[in-house]
Amino acid sequence: MSSRSFRTTAITGAVVATVLGAGTILVAWGPDQGGAGGAARLSIADPYIPLPAGGAMAAGYLTVRNAGGEDELVKVSSPGASSVTMHRSTETSMESAGPLAVPAGGALELARGGTHLMIMGWSKQPALGDVLELDLTFARSGTIAVRVPVKPLTYRPGQQDSGN
Amino acid sequence: MSRTTTRPRAARHGAPRLLGAAAVGLAAVLALTACGSGGQAPAGPAKVSKEAKDTPYEGTVLSKHFDKPDLVLNDTDGRPYDLRKQTAGRSTLLFFGYTSCPDVCPTTMGDIGVAMQKLSPEQQQKIDVVFVSTDPQRDTPQVLRTWLDSMGKNFTGLTGDLDKVKAAAKTLGILVEDPVVNKDGSVTSTHGAQVLAFLPDDKAHLLYLSATSVQTYQHDLPLLAQGVQA
Repeated sequence: MSSRSFRTTAITGAVVATVLGAGTILVAWGPDQGGAGGAARLSIADPYIPLPAGGAMAAGYLTVRNAGGEDELVKVSSPGASSVTMHRSTETSMESAGPLAVPAGGALELARGGTHLMIMGWSKQPALGDVLELDLTFARSGTIAVRVPVKPLTYRPGQQDSGN
Repeated sequence: MSRTTTRPRAARHGAPRLLGAAAVGLAAVLALTACGSGGQAPAGPAKVSKEAKDTPYEGTVLSKHFDKPDLVLNDTDGRPYDLRKQTAGRSTLLFFGYTSCPDVCPTTMGDIGVAMQKLSPEQQQKIDVVFVSTDPQRDTPQVLRTWLDSMGKNFTGLTGDLDKVKAAAKTLGILVEDPVVNKDGSVTSTHGAQVLAFLPDDKAHLLYLSATSVQTYQHDLPLLAQGVQA
């Protein structure tokens, strides 16, 4: 697909600010409107990292929305942490997960108690208000950089982070 | 995706068991607060009465009332803590987990912490929240204290002999296995992620699965503080 090349995007600067401000932004799209065979049209919503309670083991949560054709989240890395892995919580444990499907016209939800990112080896101990860049690599859409804020431990998307 | 689905909130829909005209208004209010998406509640009277249970709690009511396990470990001051003795006659929430668990453990304990903070100081003093480490080798009293302080300064953290922990968990139907250190240095501990609630009769009456919402804890903790029967 000729449209693939321009979708490999590392977003910085103004666009990142928009991501953080609006919570979601369309970061990649193809020329057609999708369907399972068309290009994926991905946007990232509600990215956050709950402040780790101790040590530097943290979880990362976000939603990848897809208004186009199917895609897959293949790997995640970060310039600010040595290890970012995809995991799934089960009733009694955790298992490594991935690649994770981003269904056509659907969403991949990385959420508490389910599939999530495990972030270790921070170059700096995370603090409230910090922002960590996560580079999400998709099978078809290339790499999307998302700046993910560190929120209070009990934060959930859609609520004011009053700490509480 | 295998995200754990939220279990049905039978207890909430069970609320309108009241009869008479006055109940209609109350039922309408309850329906609004229950689901957030008004207008969708399909609850016909027949279905409601079928789902109704004789419990004011939203947590899952246990039909088997486990005894508190006979468990003596160290608390976060490094002193011996006898679970049965020190929580005798008190409502107690018990959870097994480990501090390098990134997802379920901090989410569960954080939610309980949020719900506890909504209580008055008097109510808070009536509930013990006890976290038992399933990774005692790494969860030293100090590590445990630091971790728990993020969620509740009054939470009790217990750590010690893993065999004792496993045996205690087993009596409650909770699986705990030896932690595994992964190649990347992370630790995976297999542990049942349910929270058990004991009432002042020192028996477990309620179960909260890992997908339990903070709203459910907020609903149930005042009842637990009062020692209301499940």
